[in-house]
Formats: sequence, structure tokens, C-alpha cells
Amino acid sequence: MNKLFQYVPGNSLIHRLNPVTKIALTVVICAAAFITDHLLFLVCLLAIDLLIGLIAGVAGRTWSIFRGLVKIAAFLFLLQVLLTRAGNPIFWIITDHGLLTAGKVVLRLIVVCMPLTLVLAVTRISDLTNAMVQVLHVPYPYAFTVSTAIRFIPQFLEEMSGIMEAQTARGVAFDQAKGFKKFSMILPLCAPLLISSVRRTDQMAVAAEARGFHLRTRASAYKQYGFSTGDLLTAVFCILLLAAAILL
Amino acid sequence: MIAIQDLTFTYKNGKTPALQDICLSVPSGGFLGIIGPAGAGKTTLLRAITGVIPHHYTGDFYGSVHVNGMDTVDTSLDRLSGITGMVFQDVESQIIFPTVEDEILYGLENFGVPREEIPLRISEALHKVGIPDLLERSIASLSGGQRQKVAIASILALKPQVLVLDEPTGELDPGSSRQIFTILKELNEEGVTIVLVEQKIMLLCEFAKDLAVLDGGHVVLQGETRKVLTQVEKLQSVGVNCPRVTTLSHLLTERIGRQQPVCVNLDEAERMVRGLMK
Ligand SMILES: Nc1ncnc2c1ncn2[C@@H]1O[C@H](COP(=O)(O)OP(=O)(O)OP(=O)(O)O)[C@@H](O)[C@H]1O
Ligand SMILES: [Mg+2]
Repeated sequence: MNKLFQYVPGNSLIHRLNPVTKIALTVVICAAAFITDHLLFLVCLLAIDLLIGLIAGVAGRTWSIFRGLVKIAAFLFLLQVLLTRAGNPIFWIITDHGLLTAGKVVLRLIVVCMPLTLVLAVTRISDLTNAMVQVLHVPYPYAFTVSTAIRFIPQFLEEMSGIMEAQTARGVAFDQAKGFKKFSMILPLCAPLLISSVRRTDQMAVAAEARGFHLRTRASAYKQYGFSTGDLLTAVFCILLLAAAILL
Repeated sequence: MIAIQDLTFTYKNGKTPALQDICLSVPSGGFLGIIGPAGAGKTTLLRAITGVIPHHYTGDFYGSVHVNGMDTVDTSLDRLSGITGMVFQDVESQIIFPTVEDEILYGLENFGVPREEIPLRISEALHKVGIPDLLERSIASLSGGQRQKVAIASILALKPQVLVLDEPTGELDPGSSRQIFTILKELNEEGVTIVLVEQKIMLLCEFAKDLAVLDGGHVVLQGETRKVLTQVEKLQSVGVNCPRVTTLSHLLTERIGRQQPVCVNLDEAERMVRGLMK
């Protein structure tokens, strides 16, 4: 689970794209998913997501993200189908309209979530931050805050499982509880987690300030983030995708 | 280089002062070791020297701290941090980035080190602490000791005039600890002023020029390392365990009722015992 957001080193076509291009691609895919109203187009977008994962050489990661999302999606699908009243009944309380809208909602969810996590698998967070600052002129403190928050997610999960292990060793049976019961057992753990992460953030701020945080400018980053042919092609692809979503 | 006068500091949410009436000075090129029991205020003192007190940790601040002639209260943390580099006690909170390369780059980039000089600075710093092969690694994949070395390298790369280290060898094995102290000694000989908190008294005795003993926010002893070490009772009363040679030689001279300076290493002890047996 906590590997889900980690960078996978590589030198694929996707890895080498400018981080800003990758973000643009992500945003375009998300936008296209919300603009379009065709089930088939959504399926195409999903195929594009999977293809990107494949080209980037992170098929394993892509698959595990996909599988995780499908589990959540299945639950949502069922809920949506059972709750939709409009349309012609097909079977019991299930209507054709219900099936179609549920399918679209669920596909949209998957299509949107996939690139958001994939982008973190193929881009180092520091490159993401630096490129945002250098190319998009985002103020460094904002870029730093966002990237640090993203980086904290796996650490947070790690600490959580650490606490759960410690509790299990003291006889709390997390593994036997299911569903809501498990949730209510985990909830009280959030307080110590929150306290420790607030303290950590504070110390991190000291560490950042003590090494010239406020001196940093847009030109500070050692690496330069230029655009290549790959970036250009991706940009063209983005425009085409967006146009297709609007026109179809 | 560092001049502390009548410093009393209470953290904003603290009830009693963490530091009280501290007077200390470290000359340019000095090497001050600080020792004392847990909660004595060692970390707080280092924070005051680097300026994160009072710039980041606020509270009641009386007295003054001057670094390189600048009053830390009036000078911005950015200017102070250009002079002083600090290695934190808690490595986990010092390392901000997920990879070794990013961590070391960060300070170099911020302080505007020329682009062409950066690769050299990085490889130099990593070589010094003995981890040249870890540059590309992620922090998550490193051991505690390796992380500590990364933290030290990230500060060494900045080449500060004053180096402040808070128990930099806490996670290190004896060999690596000695290696770090050897590096510090080299830097010190090049003119870098060093202030360091350390619990391994043997290393302090060997490397530090001066020693300050802290207890309950007070400096209870300070002076040249050897002079401080002769105060065996006082050291023991604040829970600082002297090196065994020191304790033993002290016991010996006391038993036989002779006034003699204590020994700080084996050679000296041998000479003393031989002298006594004559
Ligand atoms: N951020 C803080 N806010 C409030 N009080 C603090 C803070 N940091 C330290 N203190 C208090 O100041 C006193 C001195 O703490 P300090 O961390 O300087 O001790 P130390 O000598 O470094 O101890 P150790 O050997 O455990 O590292 C302690 O009583 C501590 O509780
Ligand atoms: Mg401390």
C-alpha cells in the first residue's frame, strides 16, 4: 500500500518528459473524462492510461493501482445501480439508465485516479517541484508544501502500520475485525499520528529554514527543465484529446 | 567567533528556563565540546548559537548571542545560516528530501553556489563521510547510520565557517564515530569553528579543545578540556561518566593521598603509575 506513491526509477520515454508536460497530460486526461459523455470514449481514455503505464515500464505498478481502483469502483457501481430509479427496468430494480450512468461514473473515477498516481511513479517529486517553480513560476513555498504533503503520505501509512503492529503486540486484534469495527479501532490511532506529524513538520520547517529556504529563487535549482520533441508530441496529443472530448 | 553573554531562555510553552545565565565564548578556530545529562539544555544552547532561537523557537530571551560579530536577535536567520551550519540531533527531522542527491543539492542551490562547483562539492562531501556510492539512493533505503552521514555531508557541502553538531554520532558505530571526529579535526585545523554536543566522552577528551558541562540549564563547568576533566567529583555529581583512566587515576591518587593531575589517556596513566612505583 505505501509503495503506491513511490517513484520507480527508470529512463523511459515518459520518465524523460518535462514534469510539467506530465502534469499537463494528467490534467488533460482528467478534463477529457469529465467533458465527454460517451461510454466508449471513457473506455478509450482508460486504455490510454494503461498504455502510458506500459510505455513507462511500470506495468506492475499500473496493474496494482488499477486493481485497487476496481475494488472501490465495484462497490460504487453496485450502489449507483441499486439507487437509480430512472430509465426502463431490465431486471428487478435495475434500469438501463442506471447501468449506463453507473458505468460512466465508475469509469470516470478510474480514468481520473490512474494518471494522478502514475505521474508520481514516473516523476521524482523534487523534479516536479523544481519544474513547477522554474517553468510555471509557482512560488517555491507553495510547490514545496504540496510536494512535501505528497511525500508524507507513504510515511504516514508506514507510521500507521507501525502503531498497529505495536498495538497488535499488546493483544489488540486488528486482523480479526472487519469493516466498520476495524475502522472504529483504527480511528483512535489518528490522534498520536497527527501529533507526531505536526511535530515532524515543525522540525522540518527548522531544517528547511536553517539551510536557506527563503533565499531560494526561481533560478536556484541545479537541474534545468527544458522541452524536447517528446514534450512537443505529447502537447499535440493533449490538444487532440481535448478536442476529441469536446467535439464527440 | 561566538560570544554568549548572560543568556537566559525560556521556551514559549516552557515553565522553567531551559538555559540560565549562560556565558560562553568560542574563539575563531575553536573546538568546543558540550556534555551533560538529558534535558540539560544542550540542544537549546546549540539552537541559540545557530539563531533558530529566537527566530524559529520563540520565548523569553534575555542576554545576547553574537556570531561573527552579529547579534543573532537582530540578524536574519538567512544571513546567520550562511555562516553557521547545524547538524540536528534527530536525523529524521533534518532530512527533508526523499533522495540523497536532493538532500545535498538543496542547501547548495539555496546559497547560490556556482553551478559548475556543485558536482565537486557533492562528491567531496560524500567522500569525506565515506559514502560516495550512496548518491543516487533513496533515503528510505538507508540505515540509521548512513542517514546520519548524509545529514552531516549535506552540511559539510555548504562549507560553513561555524559548524554546530548535536550528537552527530548517535547512530554510528565506534569506527564511523571516530571517522567523523577525524573529519571535524581536519576542518578545525583549516580554521572552521566547531561546537558539538557529544555523549561519548572519550572522543570529546581526545578531540575537543574546550569542554562545557551543562546541567539543568546552567553551565556547571567550562574551560580547557584537560582542566575540566580534573574535576572528577563535580563531573560525576551531574552524571557525566569520566573515561575510566581518569576515574581510576583519580581514585588512585586519592587513596595514596597525593596531589597529582588526572590522566586522560592510557599513556599518561602508564607514565604516572611508573612514576609512583619508583
Ligand atoms: N520546542 C520546545 N518547546 C518547549 N520546551 C522545550 C522544547 N525543546 C526543549 N524543551 C525543554 O527544554 C529543556 C532542555 O531541552 P534540550 O532539548 O535542550 O535538552 P538536551 O540537553 O538536548 O537533552 P537530550 O540529551 O535529551 O537531547 C527540556 O526541559 C525540554 O523539555
Ligand atoms: Mg538534545
